[in-house]
Amino acid sequence: MTSFDSDEAGRIHRHLHSHLPSDPALRVKALESLAVERGLVASETIDRWVEAYSEHIGPMRGARVVARSWIDPDFRARLLDNAAEAIKDFGFEGNATGHLKAIENTDDQHNLVVCTLCSCYPFSILGMSPAWYKSTAYRSRAVREPRAVLKEFGVDLPEDVAVRVWDSTAELRYLIIPQRPAGTEGWSEDQLAAIVTRNSMIGTDRDLKVN
Amino acid sequence: MDGIHDLGGKQGYGPVPVVEGDAPFAHEWERRMWGLARAGIAKNITIDWFRHGLERMVPADYLAFPYFKKWVTNYLMLMIDNGEVTMEEALAGHTNRKEPPAKALSLEEMLEFQRGLCTDFSRDIGTKPAFAEGDTVTTKSHTTADHSRLPQYAQGRTGKVLAYRGAHLLPDVGAAGVHEAEHLYTVAFTARELWGDEGHPKDTVTLELWESYFA
Repeated sequence: MTSFDSDEAGRIHRHLHSHLPSDPALRVKALESLAVERGLVASETIDRWVEAYSEHIGPMRGARVVARSWIDPDFRARLLDNAAEAIKDFGFEGNATGHLKAIENTDDQHNLVVCTLCSCYPFSILGMSPAWYKSTAYRSRAVREPRAVLKEFGVDLPEDVAVRVWDSTAELRYLIIPQRPAGTEGWSEDQLAAIVTRNSMIGTDRDLKVN
Repeated sequence: MDGIHDLGGKQGYGPVPVVEGDAPFAHEWERRMWGLARAGIAKNITIDWFRHGLERMVPADYLAFPYFKKWVTNYLMLMIDNGEVTMEEALAGHTNRKEPPAKALSLEEMLEFQRGLCTDFSRDIGTKPAFAEGDTVTTKSHTTADHSRLPQYAQGRTGKVLAYRGAHLLPDVGAAGVHEAEHLYTVAFTARELWGDEGHPKDTVTLELWESYFA
């Protein structure tokens, strides 16, 4: 049975630190072998998870939701009211979207998402997070100097635009709705979804490019 | 706990790896680790115990390891702790105590299973929340050695309730295997309150905070 004993976790970690091979590929191989031998998972199922998160679950889902919100005002209202429910229109619910919130960027406010305590992320709607999202630099700096961080992503924010950083350390997850760029009037949902970047839905991109 | 994981506002970590760190996975072993984690191989745990396990890693490892190396190490810890494998088996990467093989899921079965992982952490607790939107709240100025979601940078700080979120399971006890809920709020702090004169006068940081996190 699980001990739920914090100090015991610390003891096991220190032992592993001293005795496990350093190569992470060997560690994962050991973990997979043990999990398969103990009947916890089939290796083929792990292949399917990898396939699912490469081809079916990823930022293309969030982009579809954003595009719909630009052309369908009723959907946008439902999305802003309860994103966790609204994404069920597409069957996009799943890992870490049970308390999903959609936040819209405006002319006056830019929104940025981070998790300073681990790396919480709305997996089922954006896929696996980019490595930078999990980096110590992003996690430490996004709350303290968001404008400097945004500049590193090429976003030069005017002084009169406020930044709100959402440190998503509980079970609420955030999907940022970027502004629809000018010059996209009359575009189809598919065309619009194609210009929505993953970073714009995290908040490290702001002005979407039209072409 | 005031551990190494509590990175918000810490300084000296350098530029964000914007370009070189843009991909979710850099190696095949990272993909395998993600698949193993999705498959739920550590039984009888809570999300909070999983996170607390990461917090209890050797601190130097926490900073030095890439994300999925932290995960694989933590999963081994969790599966030794819950009795699934022994320390010796974990170090050998092999066990003689074999169980019947798990059924392989098809992609369709797996995607359906994934949709069901949309967990609801809210609970009806039958008491009224003490605060409402617009109220001023001040956080506790310290935390305990146990799991907590009150980061150091927001301890002893005053903010405004942006929204009441209902009662959610409290991570502090969740890490001890206890399922108890408390009222949860989204609180906005001004950058000036958190960072002094270096904070931009227009900027804010929000956090979800449970009622017992308030002073």
